[in-house]
Amino acid sequence: MADIKIKMENISKVFETEEMETYALKNVSLVISTGDYVSISGPSGCGKSTLLSILGLLDMPSRGEYIIEDMNVANLSLDEAAEIRCKKIGFVFQSFNLIDDISVFDNVALPLRYRSDKLSVKEIEQRVKNCLDKVNMSHRIQHKPNQLSGGQQQRVAIARALVADPAILLVDEATGNLDSTTGDQIMDLLDELNRKGTTICMVTHESQYACRARTQLKLLDGEISSTPIQQESKHLLNA
Amino acid sequence: MSYGVYLLKQAWAGLNGKKGFLLTVVATLGVALGALLCIITLAYVVTFKPLPYPDQENLYQLNSVIVDKNKGVIARAYSYPSLIQIFENQNVFSQSALVRYEDGVLSSQPTQPSVRSTYVTPGWFSLLNSKVTIGRTFEGTEEKDSYNPVAILSYDFWQDEFGGNSDILQETVTLGGTNFKVVGVLAESFIEPQLAGIGVKTDIFLPWDFNTLDAPRRESFGSFSVSSRLVGRLDSKFSSSQIEQDLTIPFNSFWRENVNDSAFENWTLELELQPFKDAILGDSRNTVLLLLIGIAGLVLIACANITNLFMSRTADQQRELAIQAALGARKQHIFHNLFAQSGLLVFISTIFALLIASGGFSLLQHYLGSRLPRVDEVAINGFTLSCALLIALLLGLFFARISAGMINYRALNDTLQSSGKGTGIQVSNKVRRWLIISQVSIVTLIVFVNLGLLRDSLKIINEPLGFRTENIIALTLKINSASDMSHEESKSLLLELKERLLALPQVDDVSQSVLPLGAARRINQGIEGTQERSLVRTKYIDDRYFQLIEQPLTQGDFFSESDYRNENNLIIVNETYAEQLASEGSVLGAKISLANVVYTVSGVVKGVKMPTERDIPMRAYLPMADSRPQFLLKLKSNQSVSRELAATIVQDIGSQFFVSELESLDDQRDKLLFTQYTTAITSSVLALLTFFLAAIGLYGILAYATQMRRFELGTRLAIGAQRKDVIHLVVKDNVGSMAIGFVISFVIVFALYLGFSAELVNYINAQLIPLFVCTIVLITLMTCFACYWPLRTIINARPIHSLRGS
Repeated sequence: MADIKIKMENISKVFETEEMETYALKNVSLVISTGDYVSISGPSGCGKSTLLSILGLLDMPSRGEYIIEDMNVANLSLDEAAEIRCKKIGFVFQSFNLIDDISVFDNVALPLRYRSDKLSVKEIEQRVKNCLDKVNMSHRIQHKPNQLSGGQQQRVAIARALVADPAILLVDEATGNLDSTTGDQIMDLLDELNRKGTTICMVTHESQYACRARTQLKLLDGEISSTPIQQESKHLLNA
Repeated sequence: MSYGVYLLKQAWAGLNGKKGFLLTVVATLGVALGALLCIITLAYVVTFKPLPYPDQENLYQLNSVIVDKNKGVIARAYSYPSLIQIFENQNVFSQSALVRYEDGVLSSQPTQPSVRSTYVTPGWFSLLNSKVTIGRTFEGTEEKDSYNPVAILSYDFWQDEFGGNSDILQETVTLGGTNFKVVGVLAESFIEPQLAGIGVKTDIFLPWDFNTLDAPRRESFGSFSVSSRLVGRLDSKFSSSQIEQDLTIPFNSFWRENVNDSAFENWTLELELQPFKDAILGDSRNTVLLLLIGIAGLVLIACANITNLFMSRTADQQRELAIQAALGARKQHIFHNLFAQSGLLVFISTIFALLIASGGFSLLQHYLGSRLPRVDEVAINGFTLSCALLIALLLGLFFARISAGMINYRALNDTLQSSGKGTGIQVSNKVRRWLIISQVSIVTLIVFVNLGLLRDSLKIINEPLGFRTENIIALTLKINSASDMSHEESKSLLLELKERLLALPQVDDVSQSVLPLGAARRINQGIEGTQERSLVRTKYIDDRYFQLIEQPLTQGDFFSESDYRNENNLIIVNETYAEQLASEGSVLGAKISLANVVYTVSGVVKGVKMPTERDIPMRAYLPMADSRPQFLLKLKSNQSVSRELAATIVQDIGSQFFVSELESLDDQRDKLLFTQYTTAITSSVLALLTFFLAAIGLYGILAYATQMRRFELGTRLAIGAQRKDVIHLVVKDNVGSMAIGFVISFVIVFALYLGFSAELVNYINAQLIPLFVCTIVLITLMTCFACYWPLRTIINARPIHSLRGS
């Protein structure tokens, strides 16, 4: 059995107002092991993004236990959560979230610069180049994000998510802002990364992409609606 | 409805929905513009507005300038006979008048108030075209040597002292023992030219003949007075310098022929024609200019703040503007829309500013009436209104232009397509950077200059005088000038008065001496047998003076009681004078020639420095009574002596004596320090206000910038940045702008130093370096705070909030 990377037990997220409580997530439990490729899908407002935010420590659960590589991370301080995000989590956003004022190189290097254990300039350069090689963007290393197409920007965003060698890559609607051809290319890239060993958890509302994952979770009204479908990815099978 | 009215209605509806924005702009701009209008009006009155007298450009004061052998100006003062000679013999003025400023006690009133009396010849009123409320001005019957005892009251004095009594022409007033029949009250609108000093207003005008100079001084060519003036209307085709030259030669020769004192060997008298305007304004134009610069800085900061508010407001309006663009509004229409808003706001602010200016004029008149000339004439006038309208129009256009400049007209359509999340309107980094640079440079400059002024004022305020002032009161008497009391009689009565004062249970010690904070006579003196003479401030004191005010003796002895009683020819000098007399060895026993009498130096005291003096001047003290009786009363602790009690005792001694003034030395010191107190308060307020406005402005700019970067900062946090990383990033991004601001302010300070080094030599020195560093540290801290404060909502929440824009 593969190593367990992430384990969530009975995770709930409640948004409270003076008048009512709204459950964005209700008693969600899941396990993601090394090398897994998990997709989370469901209709709008079902809690996909909330779940991914909690998985990525961008937000904290109201209740439940959350363990990343044997460390309980359910109630970390802001700075402790930032440290874990920096070292163990790679995040790919729907709208890329690249910083327009700095070059592709600097965008990818950002997570390395925020690490508490500082890397040498040479090592940073090496890692950035390696990651840009992985996503075929080395030739655009000195460009600014606004000089790139949407697909290229998403590739850079993936490189940035991978540069710190995270335990898991969290992908939030990575194709949402892209046309179908470019979206397919990005999905191919994610498949390839997973094949090479990257653990991926992906949120998508597009079923053709969700079914590429080996484990497919469906969320409905904040709850996992059915037993996770464990299957060999069709795409992988085809490959 | 016309297009203009429609635009204004729309603008008002839009502004009404943003009350916070409306109030902030109106308050900030109103206060800043109000202050600006106030000072601009003052500058106009001081610099450009003609004096309110007919043919005012030809009104001159003819000054007698005393010059030493090195052509240095010793003083501007007349000897009485020289003044009369030039008055009677000059032919350059078509109309002229003699004027002498004095003060006295109005003994005919139950309260015996001290009054400012001005002795004039009738020409004074003709020159100024003075109008009266009741009665008349002086006429031929009050010409020089007519000795007609009549008086004219100023309007305010008539109101304050006589309650505006309409039967005032039936009354007589007594001053210096002479009864003067009131023949007129000047019009309320009459503005007296304040030639005797800023804020010095006459209460009562009397004919020239009755001035209180005694007979010896009226005949002395060696006794000079700064209180007498000759004024007139110039009626000559020759230039001022030609006239001065022509008049000086006979004037100096006449004086030289008549002054029989070798002490004046090296002196020359020159005549100088000084326009009324210069005589009244003095160097106050510089003060007004400084005020104007300070306020202009404040307005710039306020405008920078409001520019930022307008830009944020325009960013807020992007959806509304996008809808207008989608419905066919062209760039021009959008500009009209923005101009209607900015114009309306600036117009409301200007109305508020005029109210503030109106209040500011009252404050100026109340607090700076004795420091700035012509403040009484400052009021909202055509000039103020024109300036207000022009500034309003320019600012309205400026803010509209800035707002319009932010709009990318083509991108407005994207705004609608992306559900209001487009980027059709954003404040560019460049504009933001320049806003920060301008704020930092202006605030650094203004705060630095004001801290410099504050430091200078506090230094003077806190500097020890060199003698005690606590629990000491000063009593000044006036003697009825009509009395024919001899010097011996007067001396005897005053000694009796001294004993009576000493017998009061409240009083610990008494000295009959010229007041330590009062003016001293400047007497020409020097070592006997030499030609070297200096004008030395000389005071007449008794044997108790130094002990009472605790001024330390460093050599020799104080005067004894017999020295004072017998008026022995002894002199005590201060250390500065002692150094001048004998740079090596002791000065004790040195012989000093003074007014043809030889005095022996019997003691040396430590120097005292008046608040208005930069260095300790030479001072000498003689053991004798001054012609103007003054007493120092050292009180026991927690005791006081009222003016009524003093007046009763004085009247008991002799009806020819009146209490002119009774006040503590502390109060006198505070009066002398008025300028410093005013400067300290004004500079502190201006520094704080500037700092406060700049803090708000910088906060506004940085808060907006942070808001614009919320998503980027959220992304950085999401990929692992810690809070300190984000704070560091934002501070680092603004450090460059801050540094440029500091450099600009430093360059301006340096340029000022190079351009005005002579004027600023007393203010700019190495001690200002730490002050500049302090200013920079203060502003850096303020900017860092302004960076951090808006950031805290982002860094202290989970990153998802920033990413979602919640």
